[in-house]
Amino acid sequence: MLTFLVKRILIFIPTLLIVSLIAFGLSRLPNGDPVDNCFDPSGEVDSRYNYEYAEKLYKERAKDLGVHLPPFYCSFAAQAYPDTLYKIARKSKRETAEKLIAQYGNWSKIESYFKQLKTTEFALLSVAFATDENNKIQTLRELRQLPLAYKENVIEGRLKGLQESTQRDSVLNLKVSNEVDLLISSFAAVKANATTQKLYIPDFKWYGYDNQYHHWITNFLSGDFGISCVDKRPVVDKISDAIFWTLLMNICAIILGYLIAIPLGIQSAIKRDSRFDKVVSIVLFVLYSLPVFWIGTMTLIFFATPEYGMQIFPGVGLGDSGASAPFWTRFWERASHLVLPVFCLTYPALAFLSRQMRGGMTDVLKKDFIRTARAKGLPESQVINKHAFRNSLFPIITLFTSIFPEILAGSVVLEIIFNIPGMGKLAFDALISQDWNVVFTVLMLGAILTMIGILVADVLYAWADPRVRVK
Amino acid sequence: MFSFRKLNEKVTAVQKNAPQDATFRSMLWSRFQKNRLAIWSLRFLYFLVFIALFANILANDKPLYCKSGESTQFPVFREMGIDLGLLKSDGKFLLTKWQNQKFESAIWPLIPYSSTATDFKNGKYKSPFDAQDVPSFRWRHHFGTDQVGRDVASGMIHGTRTALLVGLIAMLVASIIGIFFGVLSGWFGDKDFKISRIQLIMNLLAIFPAFFYGFSTRSFIISESENSGVQALISFAIFLGIFMLFNLLAKPFERIPSLKKSISIPLDLLIMRFIEVINSIPGLLLLLASVAVLTKQSIFTTMVIIGLIAWTGIARFLRAELMRIKKLEYIEAARALGLSNRQIIWRHALPNALTPILITIAFGIAGAILLEATLSFLGIGASAEDMTWGRILRSSGDYFSAWWLAVFPGTAIFLTVTVFNLIGEGLTDALDN
Repeated sequence: MLTFLVKRILIFIPTLLIVSLIAFGLSRLPNGDPVDNCFDPSGEVDSRYNYEYAEKLYKERAKDLGVHLPPFYCSFAAQAYPDTLYKIARKSKRETAEKLIAQYGNWSKIESYFKQLKTTEFALLSVAFATDENNKIQTLRELRQLPLAYKENVIEGRLKGLQESTQRDSVLNLKVSNEVDLLISSFAAVKANATTQKLYIPDFKWYGYDNQYHHWITNFLSGDFGISCVDKRPVVDKISDAIFWTLLMNICAIILGYLIAIPLGIQSAIKRDSRFDKVVSIVLFVLYSLPVFWIGTMTLIFFATPEYGMQIFPGVGLGDSGASAPFWTRFWERASHLVLPVFCLTYPALAFLSRQMRGGMTDVLKKDFIRTARAKGLPESQVINKHAFRNSLFPIITLFTSIFPEILAGSVVLEIIFNIPGMGKLAFDALISQDWNVVFTVLMLGAILTMIGILVADVLYAWADPRVRVK
Repeated sequence: MFSFRKLNEKVTAVQKNAPQDATFRSMLWSRFQKNRLAIWSLRFLYFLVFIALFANILANDKPLYCKSGESTQFPVFREMGIDLGLLKSDGKFLLTKWQNQKFESAIWPLIPYSSTATDFKNGKYKSPFDAQDVPSFRWRHHFGTDQVGRDVASGMIHGTRTALLVGLIAMLVASIIGIFFGVLSGWFGDKDFKISRIQLIMNLLAIFPAFFYGFSTRSFIISESENSGVQALISFAIFLGIFMLFNLLAKPFERIPSLKKSISIPLDLLIMRFIEVINSIPGLLLLLASVAVLTKQSIFTTMVIIGLIAWTGIARFLRAELMRIKKLEYIEAARALGLSNRQIIWRHALPNALTPILITIAFGIAGAILLEATLSFLGIGASAEDMTWGRILRSSGDYFSAWWLAVFPGTAIFLTVTVFNLIGEGLTDALDN
């Protein structure tokens, strides 16, 4: 039994590792800028006019978030990619650099092109009075688009436009056109000195332990889940608020499911092929195929809104009586809000479980020991309750493992439909707003919960069937 | 007359009692046919496939045939040709408002609306029974409209195509991966997969260059190319090619006895652990996360991702089946005849193991359709052009009075899922008997 438990727990480790790597990898996929996602970029400073300050702020924020570090312990990429690429703070700029390298392979030239971009910008900013102020702003805007362009014809087109607009203005022509010419020649140098062969030489780079993944996973293991980007609350607080509702709903649904499914399954197995059995089978099959989100929406539309005159239950959410209201008032309000979601969680589990219970019981009733029990004259109730029931319970216990993740998944959709502030809704909202600290934690906790579910089922099984223990 | 009937009865009796002559599959089919529910489900599935195949002809805002003056046109078929890349499109054809034109004679599709076109005159949730601003009964929106006046009936028809495609492609991906791992773990088990030491070393070494030259160096090309799919396939070919090259390179080294010594790899153990790990991952959350981060959301990517998650069931089922088949006499006979491992697997073991896999695939299709509907119900996974049942159902949340937005697509999802589940049940029963 002990080795069995240890073995099971050992599987936790690679699973958590894989989930953490997948979650981390997903957060690295290109979809918006992590810093701008977390802090509203247009908030306290208008970046168009106070560009330098905005850049400085960006760097500080990147440091706060920890995204200024290399992402992982090591990288396996072409030699053309420098190992300091992660130091480019802005994600969009870093991606442009990567794309330029993928085309030309000479980082040193690309770097000097980027530096020249900066110098040109400074030169342009230092011009106090241009003849045409609008032209200057336009030129600046053009220039700031360049760090995002990576296609050759796009870059050259913009450079040409830049050259023309600086030459049009006498002041700009005097002070900036020199830098613009340098910029054009630096991009020409990138093109001329392309070292594409470097793109085909693999290179292994080691970054050490000071990286984003390491910080995140060690923090996670020590119980520090970070701070939510959206409302700056600690993730622990948000999750401990949310997990209560999810667990409450799930536990209610599982208990209800088992309580109804077991007697129903046994009755259908005993009265096999009777009318009762046939009706129950069909009803359960239909219930099993009914999509949870459809029934959720339908019950919400018909029974929780006044549109069709059948408003039996209150609408979405959990009610609005505050913490000052008496306990029982709050209790009944929450309970009435939870009836529909718990019903929607229960019926698929119930249908699945009773079908399995019926099958298990039918198999057991065919066994020799049941015949023996009947032959020695035991009353039918004792045959069922003492001999058949306990033996038919084994398969249904293991089903807990497949029910549990299903219910967790079902509660994601139901929480969104019924607007219940549980884990599923939390995770979904976090995904939509790219609040990765929350998403990470929910994914990891989801995996841990699923594995604990499997473990509990295994232990229960071993408890119910001594043969497993002995093995 | 009497004798004739008797003869007939005799013939059927003989036919019934002659399963020895029948192949396994025809036996299965005859058992399956006895299950009335399953047969009706299969018929309903044919109906769905028909709708999916001819969705463009059944519901379209262009006429099937129209004649005005000298010109006779077949706009729907022309559109299909353009979609398939057979015909060239021109701006005039695409911009024509067919509904506003007067034709001498025209044949319109059953539902004269396309799933994405908006009918502003009948916008703002027109119920199927409301007064609608349409010229005649023929032009009514029989299933109602949504907020911007899109025809729900047409959406349902085009959604059928998406739903079936989801089931098909997701299960295709899942089957390929599942069969690969299932064969490896079920056929070879823990002891039967033997390779020489040098081969093992070379294969481990090959992982790095294969990944590097297959995907790492080509990531820019894949992401920038117009047909990323084709480029990804080329990458995969390079990946496999490098493995083959390294295996070839291993051949000369096998002359050295210490390198030639063969070791068995516990494939079954490794794969089963891998499957256990995958099954502990909260699937829907992972799916939500991976679909939500994609910048280019398309229904096709969603299908592939569903397939990537759903293969474990097929692998486990196939493993159990192959373990059983492996011990049967005819496999031993094939071995005794000197057939190679590959021949036995492909010609003898797999074809027999695949029939039971159909059960898993039938249930899997139901699951995939349900999963995709859930995703598009949550508003992710499908691009703006893809019409899905889940999306119509989602729009019912904006306006609770529009019951038709919830009832019709929900019923369709329910029926389709049930049909596949019933077919799966029927297959299970047919195999169990």
